[in-house]
Amino acid sequence: MKQEISVLMDGELFEDEAESLLNRIEHGSDVQRDWEVYHLIGDVLRQPDHIPCGLSAKVRERLRDEPTVLAPRGHAVKQRMRTIALSAAASLSAVGVVVWMSMQISPEAGPKMAMQQNAARPVNVQIQPKANDYLMAHQEFSPSTDMNGGASYIRTVAYRPDEK
Amino acid sequence: MADREVDQQLVERVQRGDKHAFDLLVSKYQRKLGRLISRFVRDPAEAEDVTQDAFIKAYRALPGFRGESAFYTWLYRIGINTAKNYLLANKRRTPASTSFDAEESESFEEASLLREVNTPENELMSKQVVDVVQASLQQLPEDLRSALTLREIEGLSYEEIASVMNCPIGTVRSRIFRAREAVAENLRPLLETSKGNRW
Repeated sequence: MKQEISVLMDGELFEDEAESLLNRIEHGSDVQRDWEVYHLIGDVLRQPDHIPCGLSAKVRERLRDEPTVLAPRGHAVKQRMRTIALSAAASLSAVGVVVWMSMQISPEAGPKMAMQQNAARPVNVQIQPKANDYLMAHQEFSPSTDMNGGASYIRTVAYRPDEK
Repeated sequence: MADREVDQQLVERVQRGDKHAFDLLVSKYQRKLGRLISRFVRDPAEAEDVTQDAFIKAYRALPGFRGESAFYTWLYRIGINTAKNYLLANKRRTPASTSFDAEESESFEEASLLREVNTPENELMSKQVVDVVQASLQQLPEDLRSALTLREIEGLSYEEIASVMNCPIGTVRSRIFRAREAVAENLRPLLETSKGNRW
């Protein structure tokens, strides 16, 4: 029980456990005292210069004379409904974004993109035979090579079957 | 359940007519609110009166609290307004800006009836509490002391502490509890001797 109080005040207890524990803290004086002492320890560690004695007892005394307050009926329900509605709206928006993004890359868009790629592909150009030697000698400077920077270390050779 | 959600749970209980739930909120925030108010109202006895009054005003206003902000933000706002109005009622200059609602102003006669602060006995008691907590902390094994310090002073979550201390979250949970309980064990005999027996 004490360990649960410690975890609750650190905001690390699961919701269902927290609700039942809060019931026990409210209605058990020993448990309530543990809640008070643990909070006191935290406050002393954070602000040792300001630890007034017995303030809560005085507030409690004054509260005794106060009429019990009640929120208007349905206030809490409205609050919950609003939270649920906002969550639902957020989920729908997220789904909408995902659907819209998937539409952007839908199967119908695939062939179009492929066609565009085909259109952009360079055509084969008939090169004059005498230009081959020039291109071979300067291929290391070509930006289209996949081996930029490495090409200069590769020795290029040519093979002609009619030569020995 | 995050800390803010625990407060919201307690607030909803108060809104359903459960006064005990408000006691838990008072226990939790009395010193934080008191410290905030003492920045406006310098005299400790007056600051305590204002703090009491701020809690009573918060209790009365709680049916209208909709949870749009955190409870402590709302409570601190009431505390600051109460302090400023107290200074205005006493024709004293507020340390910060003076944008506040004059309707909030009210008398503090009721609070002054309960004024018992700053007696030598209370001052001694507060000092002893601080001494016991600090001495107990120093006596703790290193791993317990680090876990409690990272949680209470640095405000880290269990997950963050587990990462810093390189241990499972369950170990962090256990270390923090054992540290608190060890300090509380030393503190309880002292608290039982205090008037009213409540902190």
